[in-house]
Amino acid sequence: MSLSQSPLDGLNLEALNDQDKAEIRQFLNKQQQRSQIQAQTHQLTQVCWTKCVPGAVKSGKLDKTEETCLANCVNRFMDLNLLTVKHLQNMRSN
Amino acid sequence: MDSKAVKDAVFQQVVAESNLANARVLIEKIQENCFEKCITKPGGSISSGEQSCATSCMEKYMNAWNHVNSAYITRARQEGAGTQ
Repeated sequence: MSLSQSPLDGLNLEALNDQDKAEIRQFLNKQQQRSQIQAQTHQLTQVCWTKCVPGAVKSGKLDKTEETCLANCVNRFMDLNLLTVKHLQNMRSN
Repeated sequence: MDSKAVKDAVFQQVVAESNLANARVLIEKIQENCFEKCITKPGGSISSGEQSCATSCMEKYMNAWNHVNSAYITRARQEGAGTQ
């Protein structure tokens, strides 16, 4: 979407007082964090879907095994993430 | 427009665009993964079996997304608490 067509265009941003400006800053930081979590969730769901739901889809609900697998998948992915960082740090210091 | 009205409009617009962007990615992912799963041999038309597979698959992918999301948030919180 081009910025020139944003519905925020008609807004008079000069009208914002300092307190509301500060609130907007805080709000944007929160939203950015939320977007990052969502983006990471999209990536993790893709990876863990392939690992944990390999066969034919029989039901729209997740069974217990799949639920456990998904949670484990997320945690092991994060473990590996930490391990990779650690390994790279070791390589750099050696 | 006073300051509060401008602020509220900014909030509303940012949330709306962010939700839309998230929904777009989710739809794209569901499309990709459920096509892979349900349309194994594309025929001349979509079969009822393929359709019911796709419906279950969509529901399941969204359930998986929510499950992964809460597992990720739980883990991220633990790590945040551990490093502080």
